[in-house]
Amino acid sequence: MTVSAIEFSRLGPPKLRLYAMRCDNGHLNPWWEHHHCYQCGSDTLTEEELAGTGELSNYTVVYYPPRDFLGQEPYVVGHITMDEGVMIPAPVVGVAPDDVEVGTRVRATLRRMKLGHEGDIYYSQKFVVDEAAAAEGRPS
Amino acid sequence: MGEILRYGAYLPQYRAPLGEIQKFYGRPGRPRAKALCTPALDEDALTMAYEAATAALEGGDAPGTVITVSQSPPFGLRKLSATLARTLGLDDAVPLDVGGHSGSLLDAFAVASALTAEGAPPALVVASDHLVSHEDRVCDTLSAGAAAAFVVGASGGVARLGAQARAGQEVYDVWRLGTEPEARYRLEVLFDAYGATTRAALAGLERETERGTGDYAAVCPSQPHPQTLRGLGKAGVAPEQLEGTSFVGEIGNLGAASVAVALAMGLDAAAPGDHLLALGYGGGEAIAQDVEVTGRTRDSGAAGQVAGEAIDLSTYYRWTRGRQAEPH
Amino acid sequence: MRIGVLGIGKTPHKIQHHKSLRDLAVESGRAALADAGVEPSDIQALYVGNVGSVGFNYENSTGLMVAHHLGVVPAGSVRVEAACGTGAWALHLGCVAILSGLYDTVMVLGVEKMNDLATVEGTSIIAQAADSKEEYFSGLTFPSGVALTARKYMQTYELSEEDLAHTSVKNHHYGARNPYAHLRFECTVEEVMRSAKVADPLKLYEVCPMTDASSALVLCREEILRDQPDKPQVYVTATQMATGTWYAATDTLEDAHRLFAEPAQRAYQMAGITADDVDVAEIYNSFAIQEPLGIEGLGFAEPGKGWQGAADGSTWIDGKVAINLSGGLLCKGHPLGATGATQAVDIVEQLRGTAPPDMQRKDAEVGISACRGGPGAVGAIHLYQRIEG
Repeated sequence: MTVSAIEFSRLGPPKLRLYAMRCDNGHLNPWWEHHHCYQCGSDTLTEEELAGTGELSNYTVVYYPPRDFLGQEPYVVGHITMDEGVMIPAPVVGVAPDDVEVGTRVRATLRRMKLGHEGDIYYSQKFVVDEAAAAEGRPS
Repeated sequence: MGEILRYGAYLPQYRAPLGEIQKFYGRPGRPRAKALCTPALDEDALTMAYEAATAALEGGDAPGTVITVSQSPPFGLRKLSATLARTLGLDDAVPLDVGGHSGSLLDAFAVASALTAEGAPPALVVASDHLVSHEDRVCDTLSAGAAAAFVVGASGGVARLGAQARAGQEVYDVWRLGTEPEARYRLEVLFDAYGATTRAALAGLERETERGTGDYAAVCPSQPHPQTLRGLGKAGVAPEQLEGTSFVGEIGNLGAASVAVALAMGLDAAAPGDHLLALGYGGGEAIAQDVEVTGRTRDSGAAGQVAGEAIDLSTYYRWTRGRQAEPH
Repeated sequence: MRIGVLGIGKTPHKIQHHKSLRDLAVESGRAALADAGVEPSDIQALYVGNVGSVGFNYENSTGLMVAHHLGVVPAGSVRVEAACGTGAWALHLGCVAILSGLYDTVMVLGVEKMNDLATVEGTSIIAQAADSKEEYFSGLTFPSGVALTARKYMQTYELSEEDLAHTSVKNHHYGARNPYAHLRFECTVEEVMRSAKVADPLKLYEVCPMTDASSALVLCREEILRDQPDKPQVYVTATQMATGTWYAATDTLEDAHRLFAEPAQRAYQMAGITADDVDVAEIYNSFAIQEPLGIEGLGFAEPGKGWQGAADGSTWIDGKVAINLSGGLLCKGHPLGATGATQAVDIVEQLRGTAPPDMQRKDAEVGISACRGGPGAVGAIHLYQRIEG
């Protein structure tokens, strides 16, 4: 993916804070739904911050990364069902592929998302295994 | 002075093999650290600061001030504190950057103490650094990274930030010319200046507090090189006082985060009534501070994070090259 | 309501460093013209399917470029793009053009030249067929997005990676026999399992290569073909399109089934046949998992059972319905804009009885091609029938 700084500065993928889009009927959509609710079609959506905790509901391990992730392979990327109910795609870092499974509790953390082969840095939310949740014996 | 209410530490989990890096660059001598605590390819001063800050803030009041201490990229032309505050959702907090050297955490404590008052929101102080050095000088500077964060309030904390004493001398142990992306380190001068100014600062602190250097339960120093720890011996610090707070020989030089991580380790191990000695040095200036432990709170777990996951030379090389902006 | 297939042509599907985008287009276009027995001046409209010439080849206006080099001037020409469904969309527009009554004879041509760039660059261009800026920002790629679908499929229907590996074995069996295919080797389940990991659970033999190729068809009004009884009487008897979800994150297995099921039902109705009547099918499988999903969507198997045919033989050459006798995209490769057109050409060959001997379904009369595009965004169904007399 190549984006300009102008483009990235617009509302788009989460940068310093993780958010989702809430429609006026209460449905929560991933951040890319700015124009209509995927569930009910409402065209009124507002940005809502997420608490940052959730559960890995599906995942894969990428061995051939896109340009922006070169050097990090193999890495885990998957669908995370946030505690608010919305499902978003995100990488899970700091964990060996064998140590995650569907249902693993994860929490958001700030990482460099795009390493900027043009020299730009973009931050966004990646996820780490939520050790605290595991220790408390919450479902995982 | 203020009090430390809560604190947290974040050491990246990867350990680069310094011995192999040294061989790779054809550097003679034995490696001065077992490994280098190396941020992952997607980590930097901001992301480590975020990790340490969220750990320190958990369960407490939102701070009204965010003070960051760092000397690493990517920032420099903008405030790390402002970006961190935005990330933490602290839009109303006053962001302050305290720059300078490996002892600047103690400058930030002075600022935080001055700003906090009874009934006012606390200040968040975060030291985060990934020491900048060119590839072939990684071995000299023991380039490593980490972060630690402290929430400072007027009262009700677990440690009282006591008296500070400073001593300085004119010395060019580290500097940078206008066009150079990284600093020049002159270790041979640094060792001398570290020893001399530290002794002077400790003498000053003793005059102020009437507490001898040997009377502290632990000493939490900046530690750019194992040699500086040995130098502390000549200043009256006993090896036992460094037992739980020295790490440079294990994971390298954490730069501006080193006093912070050492203090977190000291607080984790201390009992109420203990006094800790925080000791920062950089660029010809030593700062010494008395920290009186008054209670207990959640551990930072810093000591437990010293052991990490080994990465091989090729991974280290790939990551540091992939970081793009040289030096790393 | 039928559209005559007057001529077909295709280039070999492989890495062709010595041929340019225009070389490939002219090669398949001329082959189709020759097969149809018409001149470039007989073509009244040209629909060129091409996905990524701007990225892969640094050139644009592919429709106009192909028109010039093929000599199809002054007929109108346009470039068509709908992700991996591009070739099928060009075919759809060609069919609609004939059905509208406006044109007698049109050409549909798909072309892609992917191997002028390094793989990592090519992968980035392919990723633009999905939401590469918002969703793939997360480090997802096309293969990893499909890998998530594969894992969902395996978990939902309690299947193993070995179960799914049979699909690659079948495709490679036929791909090895297809002189036009990119990858021409046979493999076993064990070899599929041993092949390099691409994105868990997808392995290398379950992923298509990047390929340079072009395919073309000359379409005409039904009467024109009917009046030439010495020509093979193969007609397109249904063309139906659908749009599904553009995001892997919200794409469910039900969505994947619906993507084909809904337009397929409309197509069966349009042609007045049922899934049971189909002899041969070309089903999009840039990743192996898409074949069972497609089989289920087209009504050849219950959800969760589409993988079985490759294991029990019922989707092999003499099974109930023979699927991907060309070797599928897994072996032919996936020249993005050409793929939909190649599927059509391969089915027409089957119905004409001119496929290579080891790949020819005996007495094939009814064929279907199902092309998809984007994460789950394009569903394109075409039915073909040999109708003598």
